[in-house]
Amino acid sequence: MKKRALRGGVWLALILPGVLFITVFMLIPLFSILFSTFSADGSFSLDNYGKLIQSVYFQQVFGRSVRLSLLSTVLCAVLGFPCAYYISRYSKRKGLMMALAVFPMFTSPVIRSFSWMVILGRKGIVNQFLVNVGLFSRPQSLLYNEFSMTVGFVQLFLPQMILSLLGIMDSIPEDLTEAAGSLGAPRFVAFLRIVFPLSVSGLVTGAVLVFTGCMTAYTTPQLLGATDTQVLSTMVYQYAMSLRDWVQASAVAMVMIVVTMLISSVFNRLSKKINPMAT
Amino acid sequence: MALLELKDITAGYDKNIILRDFNLQVERGHFVSLLGSSGCGKTTTLRLIAGFSQPQAGSVIFDGRDITHVPLHKRNFGFVFQSYALFPHMTVFDNVAFGLKMRKVGKEETRKRVLDMLSLVDLDGFEKRYPREMSGGQRQRVALARAMVINPDLMLFDEPLSNLDAKLRVKMRVEIRRIQQELGFTAIYVTHDQEECFAISDEVAIMNKGVIEQMDSPAHIFNRPRTEFIARFVGFENFFDLIRSDGAWRTQSGDPLRVPEEKTGSTYRACIRPEDVKIHPQGEPCENAVPGEVLVTTFLGRNVQYNVGTAIGEFTVKTDQSVVYSIGSKVQLELSANKIIFIDPINT
Repeated sequence: MKKRALRGGVWLALILPGVLFITVFMLIPLFSILFSTFSADGSFSLDNYGKLIQSVYFQQVFGRSVRLSLLSTVLCAVLGFPCAYYISRYSKRKGLMMALAVFPMFTSPVIRSFSWMVILGRKGIVNQFLVNVGLFSRPQSLLYNEFSMTVGFVQLFLPQMILSLLGIMDSIPEDLTEAAGSLGAPRFVAFLRIVFPLSVSGLVTGAVLVFTGCMTAYTTPQLLGATDTQVLSTMVYQYAMSLRDWVQASAVAMVMIVVTMLISSVFNRLSKKINPMAT
Repeated sequence: MALLELKDITAGYDKNIILRDFNLQVERGHFVSLLGSSGCGKTTTLRLIAGFSQPQAGSVIFDGRDITHVPLHKRNFGFVFQSYALFPHMTVFDNVAFGLKMRKVGKEETRKRVLDMLSLVDLDGFEKRYPREMSGGQRQRVALARAMVINPDLMLFDEPLSNLDAKLRVKMRVEIRRIQQELGFTAIYVTHDQEECFAISDEVAIMNKGVIEQMDSPAHIFNRPRTEFIARFVGFENFFDLIRSDGAWRTQSGDPLRVPEEKTGSTYRACIRPEDVKIHPQGEPCENAVPGEVLVTTFLGRNVQYNVGTAIGEFTVKTDQSVVYSIGSKVQLELSANKIIFIDPINT
């Protein structure tokens, strides 16, 4: 499409409200937090980060956050890929299937977490089933640990993965699979060689969304985790609200931002390797 | 025996039947076109042969073997798509090498065959490009090379040139025909472009509503259409009935007409091209005269077209005569006897 030039300051009027809003309410606070973490007694210092990194507790929380987020991302990819592939290629009721896939997004994460409490609790349906079937003699503790947090994360962010994948899969013409078939590729090979590499950019978008979501989610780890399964987001809350240590809270927040950006760029690099022509 | 045979095929989607009791035979080494307007079933037929879809009934016989249920990837047919369907994430080399990779051909041989094929389609030096870095004509040649490099038993073309501009289309169809004759493969070519298919094919099958109306050499179809549909398709515009009575063929109004051949039966539909009808002033003696009145005069540059109303229907006449008749002129049409074509009494 041809782009028309806008006269005079009209473009400014179009983007200024949005830019102002973001500058005033996001960028300024963000940078003021950033500066506060690099100063001690009014001069530049890395002490705040030094303290943080040396703390064994922080190391544990940091490791857990990254580990659970990566695990959830992988699980979402594994569960989401076949689902998106089915909806895109074979489903006769695409609209309905998509609505079902994104339906969980209409419910608040708080309510979803409470639902998991009902499902995974000592008297929940999962435990009742396991005991009744005879797999275990006593109910297992499925709640308030990394397991329940991961389950919560996956359920929270799977729709985003499916939507990202669907978007890209729908843009892959069926011709390509047929061409691969006519050249001698069985269905699965055609999927592996053609559909998968071409879907990678959607996978990456989805992975970035899921990973960022997991890293920053607060209610799910708070409600489905316990005090010994803290993650970075709950740690920020603890520092800020319980310990009233705003500077440390800010430092943790900074770490979260940097890690999220780092991992996202790694995802992007990987996708470039698999499909060099992806945009 | 025919190389490929479709026997009593029924095919379609759900309740929408596109082909019913469809039959087709293709001889080894022939270049056969399926010609028809959209929705006539030509693409359905091609996809069925390729193995992209399965018939609801009937069988596909190839080289004496029933391949109706042989899966797509085991058929060894080359397919060239209208959309080219090149793999966008692979270089030209990898695109062309794909089929060889699937056949586990060695690295050295693959390299040699791919480069040979690229050179055959005049794309030397393009092997490192990606499809999006190439023009439409170049992409279609990559698609052609990719389909041919596997030494297919049969080449299938689905309107391969319709995304190209007119000039390139003419160039590419000559190219395709040249390569086909050089390599000697059997080809089935689907198109809705009459000129294209007449230019390129040994045989043309004209399809209408899921049925082959006529399958013949291009010249035969052009000169001896068998049905009114075909006749209209190849440029006949004047149709009239011929009835045999009192030992002569007569028009509906009873005037006797000389015809080029004897036919058994008593009622036929006949046709004649606008170029083969001569126009004379009223009263001038001529053979097979049909009197009429000029309804419309259209100046077409090199010639003039008249629509003439007669007792046996409206006739379209194209003539390069310098005498111009105005609307309302009384004229005589001369239907040259050896230009009148009998149409089989079906589809009338």
